[in-house]
Amino acid sequence: MPETIVEIKKVTKIYTLGANKIYALNKVSAKIEKGDFVTIMGSSGSGKSTLLNMLGCLDLPTSGKVLINNTDLSNLDDDGLTSLRRNNIGFIFQQFNLIQTLTAVENVEIPMIFNGASPQKRRKRALKLLQKAQLPPEYAHHKPNELSGGQQQRVAIARALANNPPILLADEPTGNLDTKTGHGVMELLRELNQAGTTVIVVTHDPRMEEYSRTTIRLQDGEIVNEDT
Amino acid sequence: MRYELFIALRHIKARKRQTILSVAAIGIAVMILMVSQAFMAGFTQEIYQTTVANLPHVVVSPQEGEDYIHLYGNIVREVNSIEGVVASSPYLIGEASFRYRDKTANAALKGVVPPEEEAVAHVSKDVIEGDFEELAYSRRGIVIGDDLARRLGLQMGDSVEVSFPNANTLSLRVIAIYDTGTPADESLIYTSLGTAQDFYGTADVINGISLRLADFNQDREVASIIREEGYRADGWTQNNPEILQTLAIERSSNQVTLGFILLIASFGVVSTLNMVVMSKLKETGILMAMGMSRSGIRLVFLLESGILGLAGAVLGALAGTVIALSVGSYPLPEGVYGISSIPVIVRPTDVFLIITVVFLLNLIAGIYPAQRAASLDPVKAISTR
Ligand SMILES: Nc1ncnc2c1ncn2[C@@H]1O[C@H](COP(=O)(O)OP(=O)(O)OP(=O)(O)O)[C@@H](O)[C@H]1O
Ligand SMILES: [Mg+2]
Repeated sequence: MPETIVEIKKVTKIYTLGANKIYALNKVSAKIEKGDFVTIMGSSGSGKSTLLNMLGCLDLPTSGKVLINNTDLSNLDDDGLTSLRRNNIGFIFQQFNLIQTLTAVENVEIPMIFNGASPQKRRKRALKLLQKAQLPPEYAHHKPNELSGGQQQRVAIARALANNPPILLADEPTGNLDTKTGHGVMELLRELNQAGTTVIVVTHDPRMEEYSRTTIRLQDGEIVNEDT
Repeated sequence: MRYELFIALRHIKARKRQTILSVAAIGIAVMILMVSQAFMAGFTQEIYQTTVANLPHVVVSPQEGEDYIHLYGNIVREVNSIEGVVASSPYLIGEASFRYRDKTANAALKGVVPPEEEAVAHVSKDVIEGDFEELAYSRRGIVIGDDLARRLGLQMGDSVEVSFPNANTLSLRVIAIYDTGTPADESLIYTSLGTAQDFYGTADVINGISLRLADFNQDREVASIIREEGYRADGWTQNNPEILQTLAIERSSNQVTLGFILLIASFGVVSTLNMVVMSKLKETGILMAMGMSRSGIRLVFLLESGILGLAGAVLGALAGTVIALSVGSYPLPEGVYGISSIPVIVRPTDVFLIITVVFLLNLIAGIYPAQRAASLDPVKAISTR
């Protein structure tokens, strides 16, 4: 019996804009198994990012439950959420979101700093991760604005892997990349998945579906079908 | 090194201009504070030295309802045995009319035991002609202030006629002239205790003892010990409340101004830090997503505020000390102000206190921006550009 690593139960997220209530998510339930490769698909505004942020403990639901590794997030205080995020989740953004004043390798070191790794250890591991993410080694000491989009996304993936998280979350990781580079990034995510990491990718590019084993389709904040 | 400190230092380094501006704002405020504190301390000491130093620190008067202290040997001995009393001078003081040729003036005539009065009031250092201690040997001598001498047209060696109702008219000779620069120069004449007793026709009595203390701040304590013996006694702060009042008013108005300066400088820190928070929104959101805790974020901004405050305080204190000391060592034109340089005192405790207070004030000022950064919504923060 496959192990459930992420579970959401009747999750609702309401944004209030003036008198309007927007149901970004409406009683969404789903289970994600350990080692799965999930794509979350849907049109713009369907609630994909909202769902992913919730899985990453960056946001809390208005009602419903989110469980990660069988831990109910609503039972955790701020420090608990932080350490759960730190130890279980790697985040990859569409905009890369690297810190511009730091070099590629320093960016990768950041999550390790929060875990108290020594400088030597951090540096060694960060360089190894950059290699794994297939960033050409000569770029390791460049600042983000000296790298191409694809290279920046590789740095961001290396950073997401820093604390060896069991879950990798990516919000349109290929959205800012050309098709060829995008496929390169997806290949990399597939390799990581094959090595055991649970990967959850938000995308509205149907071509990316080929990489996934499970697809969650969202429409107006509701899951319309979940196929495997 | 804790990573919070590392990040805080990076923020500070990355925003050189703002850093310099806010450190300078705090620094200037602290500098003004330091200089003004040094002047204040110098001014206070100057007042003490010119007034309190020459005042008797405690004055003992006859018992309630009596005009004189009889058999004063006992009380003088007792007073001298009180801890902190370094000298005592029994005296007999009263009013008298002085006449020289066609000029007359009224003034106080104070009969003293010269070496003892010298020990209490340091009369000799103000004597400009003759010798104060001569009084001990010349039975009919007086020591007169320069202003009164000028008014009466008296010179050294001249004899002046001293009279008063119910007193024995005497002819006394000027044996010394003093100049204190205070109203005493016009209103107080010293003679020997024996001469004063002859003049007022009393037995061997006195009507007061003036005391000098090792520490003039002890005046009230010593006075109250003496009061327990049945005599009246008052410290200089009770006899001259106006001196303390002047100092207190000066000091408190000074401190209110300085407090405002510091407050304004600290507001500068809040607004600078708010700007830093705003400009670091995205970075802060990213750090949160990467696993940095809210308390860590809060600490980063508190540290920034503290570091800026400390840097400003230390630099300002340094600059203030240098300015104060160099103003203090600048010689004033002689004789114009009666002092050779502007009195300035830089006390290490003041420096330490100012630095500590400014540092704490900045930490407090940093709480609001730090709290703001720590309560950011990471999702929104990341999506800002
Ligand atoms: N902070 C917010 N305040 C108000 N409404 C919000 C907020 N964030 C999202 N929404 C709304 O919630 C709904 C879902 O937004 P979400 O970002 O999850 O969509 P998405 O599927 O990721 O879209 P896209 O493909 O454009 O990224 C949208 O209607 C959006 O306008
Ligand atoms: Mg989105």
